[in-house]
Amino acid sequence: MSVPSAARDLASAALTLGERTERRHGLGYAVALLARRKIALIGVVLMIFTVAVGVLGPAFVRDPLHMDVTGRLAAPGSSHWFGTDDVGRDVFSRVVYGARLSLLVGATTVVLAFVGGVACGLVAGYYPRLDNPVMRVMDGLMAFPAIILAIALMASLGPSVTNVIVALGVVYCPRVARTVRGSVLVIRETPYVEAARALGAADVVVLLRHVFPNCLSPVIVQASFVFAAAVLSEAALSFLGVGVPPFIPSWGNILSEGRLYLIQAPWLVLYPGAAIMITILGLNLFGDGLRDLLDPRMRGLTN
Amino acid sequence: MKTYIVGRVLALIPVALVVATIAFVLIHLAPGDPASIIAGPDASADDIGKIQHQLGLDAPLPVQLVRWYGRLLQGDLGTSIFLRKPVTAAIFDRVEPTLLLTAVATLISVIIGVPAGIVSARRQNTAADQSLMMFALIGISIPNFLLGLLMILVFAVRLGWFPVAGYSPLEDGWLATLRSLVLPAFALGFVQSALVARITRSSMLDVLREQFILAARAKGLAEKALVYKHALKNAMIPIVTIIGVSFALLIGGAVVVETVFNIPGVGRLIISAVLRRDYPVIQGVVLCIAGVYMLVNLLVDLSYLFLDPRVRYQ
Repeated sequence: MSVPSAARDLASAALTLGERTERRHGLGYAVALLARRKIALIGVVLMIFTVAVGVLGPAFVRDPLHMDVTGRLAAPGSSHWFGTDDVGRDVFSRVVYGARLSLLVGATTVVLAFVGGVACGLVAGYYPRLDNPVMRVMDGLMAFPAIILAIALMASLGPSVTNVIVALGVVYCPRVARTVRGSVLVIRETPYVEAARALGAADVVVLLRHVFPNCLSPVIVQASFVFAAAVLSEAALSFLGVGVPPFIPSWGNILSEGRLYLIQAPWLVLYPGAAIMITILGLNLFGDGLRDLLDPRMRGLTN
Repeated sequence: MKTYIVGRVLALIPVALVVATIAFVLIHLAPGDPASIIAGPDASADDIGKIQHQLGLDAPLPVQLVRWYGRLLQGDLGTSIFLRKPVTAAIFDRVEPTLLLTAVATLISVIIGVPAGIVSARRQNTAADQSLMMFALIGISIPNFLLGLLMILVFAVRLGWFPVAGYSPLEDGWLATLRSLVLPAFALGFVQSALVARITRSSMLDVLREQFILAARAKGLAEKALVYKHALKNAMIPIVTIIGVSFALLIGGAVVVETVFNIPGVGRLIISAVLRRDYPVIQGVVLCIAGVYMLVNLLVDLSYLFLDPRVRYQ
């Protein structure tokens, strides 16, 4: 199984966004690779922008919960860049805090879905006896449209940020498991796995040291799409009123409240909407670029 | 061919079993039991116990699970706690707008997506291709509820072409129904069309690189016949597959879009059921949607029989 080492470097570098990248080439090399694909670079820029806003932004904006009823539904202007909502809260700071929440939900969902999905995928792919039962459960979970299963889980768990993350983690876990299992089925038969087993390595060692690193590249591509899907789903759940509790500023919540004032105060919909679009567009562009790089077969198909 | 069909149908059974089990588990994940919700907040422990017995909730879990399967086989989804009528009836009352909405949205996605993908593939790497694909990328990145709200703002509020929200049932005339569905179906179908366009493009590009296309070109076949008769036919499998797979996205999106446009469909039903903690309805809707989704994908699998002769001779 030959995963181009450069591509793997890029993936790990790009995914952690420069947190931990010294693997032979470092961040500079990854950026250079991505820069050759202009569209992917736009994606990276948009992502860095979102992350910067979400991580640093809340320190600089005013209290997103402060109500000023006399200044309710004020149009965007110099005192309130994005205007105010129906109880006079500053929409700009709510959108900035919303970015933080979206990133939190997206990132933790990815982690959760990946821990679960990788574990199930490795086990199902490696042990033929467990393959059928594990994958049938995953098929069953995937027979529900993602948002429907998330709604049903939220109904049972109750509205909270943690529960949104748990629900979305459960929803996206089988998708990851399926990808990992597919790779494991191939890697299991490779000579180096056979060699490791012949040397007497324990199953855990074979799985974690030899199989797992080699099925990473498709999974990493998937991560950016799962991240995007999680951000979208959180917004949809909150918009429907079954996601994050209404007092927490989230893009979906702002939209859900803004919907009622669509005609008088369209900025309540336009700004959080733009924030969602920028974030998702960034992730999708990045994911496309990553897939182009990691999967040579797709090269040339998407520009 | 027969083995293919039988195989596909049989493969559904274990998945259906798992789906039914997951729906059963869902209700038991919830804090508090349904009996105390039905009985209301001031019910005595005695009343709750009675209802528990009535609903069979006092039986051990495995027994409840087996009874649950039995009821499902008879098409019994239980009774709504809030609406006080069978869940199947509650869903049936709401199915028309959802069904029409998804159907029209699918139609829109195919009408926009397939031609856009073909144009894009034929003019690979030209400005037309790149702008179409950029458009598709934006389409994938815009959530349907946001697109819906923006469309209300522009086409209903500013221009006044369509109603702001609401649904006109079929019995009041299909033209009014169609008018009330244009905006929601477009909000829903546009995202889908972006997906379809991307798959059509890459699938067409794959086929256009094949030897038989080269041969067809060499013998002087007209470009139109080449693209539409030879290439498109062979590119159909991934296109039909994505339409089937993305049906999940579509029906999930319908739930959200119904809220935006205040359409009294299955989506509104499940959301109001969640807010009222009407678990049998949640369970029923979730099961029905999963059932429809599995059925759609079965149909997609079976359509391969017509699209790809190789499948027929398996």
